Amino acid sequence: MHGLAYDEVHDEIVIPSPLAQAVLVFRGAAEGEEPPLRVIQGPHTGIVGTGYGALDTVSVDGENNEIYLPVASDRVLVFDRMANGDVAPKRILGGPDTQIRYPVPADQGPLPPVAIDALHNLLVVKSTWPRGTTPSYLIFDRTASGNTKPLRVIHGPKAAIGGGNQIQVYPPKGWIIGGATGPGPSIGIWSINDDGDVAPRWRIPVNKLTGLNVNGVGIDPIHKEVMVPTGNGNVVMTFFFPEIFQ
Amino acid sequence: MRVRRGKVRISLLIVIAAIGVGVLCSSNLERLQLAAEPGTGAPQLVSIQQLPSDGEMCAWPSTAPADPVLMASLEQDPARNLFAAMRQQGRGGGAYTPDPSTIEVGRQPARMIRDEYPTYSYVAVDTKFDEVVLQDNNLWAIRVFKRTANTPPGAPVTQPERVIQGLKTEVQFNNGIYIDPDDGEIHSVESDTGDKVVVFTHDALGNVEPERVLKTPHRGYALAVDEGKKDLFVSVQYPPRVMVYRKGASGNEAPLRVIEGEKTGLSDVHGIAIDVNRKLIFVANWGAISNYLVAGTGRFELPSITVYPLDANGDVKPLRVIQGEKTQLNWPHAISLDPGTGDLYVANDIGNSILVFHETDQGDKAPARVIKGAKTGLSNPTGVFVDTKNKEVWAANFGNSTATCYPINANGDLGPLRTIRSAPAGYQGLKFGKVEAVAYDSKRDQLLVPN
Repeated sequence: MHGLAYDEVHDEIVIPSPLAQAVLVFRGAAEGEEPPLRVIQGPHTGIVGTGYGALDTVSVDGENNEIYLPVASDRVLVFDRMANGDVAPKRILGGPDTQIRYPVPADQGPLPPVAIDALHNLLVVKSTWPRGTTPSYLIFDRTASGNTKPLRVIHGPKAAIGGGNQIQVYPPKGWIIGGATGPGPSIGIWSINDDGDVAPRWRIPVNKLTGLNVNGVGIDPIHKEVMVPTGNGNVVMTFFFPEIFQ
Repeated sequence: MRVRRGKVRISLLIVIAAIGVGVLCSSNLERLQLAAEPGTGAPQLVSIQQLPSDGEMCAWPSTAPADPVLMASLEQDPARNLFAAMRQQGRGGGAYTPDPSTIEVGRQPARMIRDEYPTYSYVAVDTKFDEVVLQDNNLWAIRVFKRTANTPPGAPVTQPERVIQGLKTEVQFNNGIYIDPDDGEIHSVESDTGDKVVVFTHDALGNVEPERVLKTPHRGYALAVDEGKKDLFVSVQYPPRVMVYRKGASGNEAPLRVIEGEKTGLSDVHGIAIDVNRKLIFVANWGAISNYLVAGTGRFELPSITVYPLDANGDVKPLRVIQGEKTQLNWPHAISLDPGTGDLYVANDIGNSILVFHETDQGDKAPARVIKGAKTGLSNPTGVFVDTKNKEVWAANFGNSTATCYPINANGDLGPLRTIRSAPAGYQGLKFGKVEAVAYDSKRDQLLVPN
């Protein structure tokens, strides 16, 4: 299990269960062998991972009561937050016009993450389009469904978008926070209004500073911090980063 | 607390750290009472580690194992590990072009949550050389101790006789281990990003290349060897299967056979043991199962031990299955067989116990013996090894950087004969396992970290 999301509106923890093709929702204060409040699992869900990466990432939009799950075959499933059992997704985003392309064939590799900006009604999907290039951020209307073109695409050598199982948005300032390339794996900050080959506004050169990789990212607006987990070394780093929160 | 959802009990593995504090203070870690009942095969909450809330600061020592050179080097070859592949994915086909408009933020991390001590995932005894070999899954090392080593209560730690560690070793997220009874060769399966079995000579030391490397599927977990036929068995967590290779196989050599398929009952596979006399294979399953090629096929089953003929191949039904509420199975990891008695020892992680079944058991059968309790020193045991020569049973404790040794007939709540401890007394580890995500819980001022 390599992914999770916290819904601060409803105080719930959302977890993908990769080997059982399920999404589990726990109360925020869950501890011990506590049952989930809800389980999304079954033939109608359409949940399918990959042989290698399975289902490594999930996102939640507490404001609009939705759970987002990237799945194999270059699709993003959107479930009602209260979905429980063998329930079909309320929307499926995917198709050639979406430009959602995961970096490797469907039975390999991890599935890239998404983030929701409920304030600006946007969905940011990390993609690898065209395959074999640097990743892109595809920015959609939040309710986009089917084979819909993105509103904007951030992509290119200057954009230097990098890897990682998580991306975040900070709606009050309209930032996208995610992995970046550069002098080794880094954290980069882009705007939701960026379009094309736009360089990140800021970059934390994580690898240059610590020798460690970037496998995900979390944000803590209260303490103005960015957290970076890395599997190699089993470390969670916390960077004080007030610039993006003020 | 035990939980139920119909027939399925689901919980979650997560480490929660309050962040108002600065850094994690090991002296203030508390281990909560964990359930002792059988599990579900689903993710489970293993621990909550509460940090002080008074703003107290304590340094989380930096550690040699997070050596930037090692870590950076591990990321260089995408064909050899996932970190490298992900980094390569980040690089893509385009070269990085520095842009003067980008502001570089050169601040060091304000805090780093990291376990500086070994996390022991597996144990084996080398009866020829009278040594105990421990897999350190946190710092990516193989640590070799004298079998009779014992850490006195007042001692800081026990130093190993030898450590195999470093970039050349290719050891990473190492789990299963097998020691050749003739020459002491150490076989180690590298899980997750490793995807290989590496073999070292008995006296290997430091940053040395393996004698040979066998490429194995992603999520390899445990090993067993039929020394008569010279077959090497490798259990693979997911897609669930058992690979059987020539013992001396290396490179990309194909398996001799593979046990795999819906009929097998394999699910989230972990430990493996074989009985060459009775020609049987035993496999520990956690119960989470799906066909990754077919959407919506996922389900949770109860954990189990499945039993197959030693020469099984393909999609074969198990001869019998140990499964049910009475078994107490709850994330069963390593299993080890005493061929003389037929006793089957199970490292029962979330149960904080060593369960002992008989190899002829089947169905919802309670274990014949259970090593469990406050005196045992068990802390999330994931490794177990029965040493029939010295009449001892060893446990590798993932939770507290120890290996504990008991009499072979141990039962109940008893103190270990000896303890090898690699962290301060009373220490409880972070139990991090390849952390790739984090979330901030604003209600409780905590970090949520899946493992």
